[in-house]
Amino acid sequence: MKCEEVKPYLMSHLDGEIEPEKRSEIEKHLEECEDCTKEYQAFVKLKQETDKMKLADLSDELWNGYWKGVYRRIERGVGWIFLSIGAIILLSFGAYQFFKELLADPNISLIVKIGVSIGALGAIILLVSIVRERLFLCKTERYGEVER
Amino acid sequence: MKNVYLTPGQSVLNKPETYVYIDKEEKTDEDRELILQLKRGKMKAFRKLVEKYKKPAFFIALGLVGNREDAYDISQEAFTRVYTSLGRFNPQHKFFSWFYAILSNLCKNHLRSREIRGRYIRSVDDDAEMSSQTNPAPGPDVLMERNERSLRLWEEISELPLEFKEIIILKHFQGYSYKEISQMLNIPLGSVMSRLYYARKKLKDNLKDILT
Repeated sequence: MKCEEVKPYLMSHLDGEIEPEKRSEIEKHLEECEDCTKEYQAFVKLKQETDKMKLADLSDELWNGYWKGVYRRIERGVGWIFLSIGAIILLSFGAYQFFKELLADPNISLIVKIGVSIGALGAIILLVSIVRERLFLCKTERYGEVER
Repeated sequence: MKNVYLTPGQSVLNKPETYVYIDKEEKTDEDRELILQLKRGKMKAFRKLVEKYKKPAFFIALGLVGNREDAYDISQEAFTRVYTSLGRFNPQHKFFSWFYAILSNLCKNHLRSREIRGRYIRSVDDDAEMSSQTNPAPGPDVLMERNERSLRLWEEISELPLEFKEIIILKHFQGYSYKEISQMLNIPLGSVMSRLYYARKKLKDNLKDILT
């Protein structure tokens, strides 16, 4: 085997995830190749050092409160959804009532009615465009949740 | 859990895509059952799932973002995303692989926004102290034992490119097998070995002084 072919297998040998047949091949190569042996020994030392390292644990208090934290986040999320739906319904109804009265009012000139209507149409188009863009970004965002 | 080995004589460097591992036999029945219960609205099942995976979730996030408070928040947020995106989970796959994708994406987003924030602050404010507070570097308080060697090693791991850091965290700090890492990162088994080789090589080259 060439050195380049052996290199990744040095990892599986080091981590004990190599099949017996391959192990013999790698060990045979290591006996013959001084460079690969040196590299392998350095990897062994590196593994020993990293094995000694441990990440610091959290306090029991934080672990005990973990679930509550997750639950609270979900609860708040649901709260926001309901709040948003309620606000959209009220705003839509308010807008409907406003336009209904505006268009029916004979004291308001036609030019004002047309101007307000066109402005409202523009606002609706902008809103739809922003919502569509957000939905598109959610689907294509580089680091969005991926489905597997 | 059985290991899956590469075919003898094949070079993973040349054709890593040959070694895509598809796990059809192994089904994580317990997780699947919990998810089915959760889909029926049972929050107790979700709590069990959270309790089961909260530690690996936290420690993976800690390894990636290097800050305990952020790791705690991000791991909790990942579980929240699981709850809200449950419909997107494919029951044919392992839950933790899917969860890992969500978690690592949140970590990447966090690192990206931290980097952008840091860059912005450096551009408008030359005060180095303030910049370091807003963009905290991965700190040594994440380690249980703090000696010169481990601090140096942690520093080098923190400096690795994300794809290398990720594989070192999963292998060394979480002890996942190659097969599990392959499923979590959605990469072929050969790529796990190659990536691990290059990550360790970089560490080894940068740590020559303490490894000799």
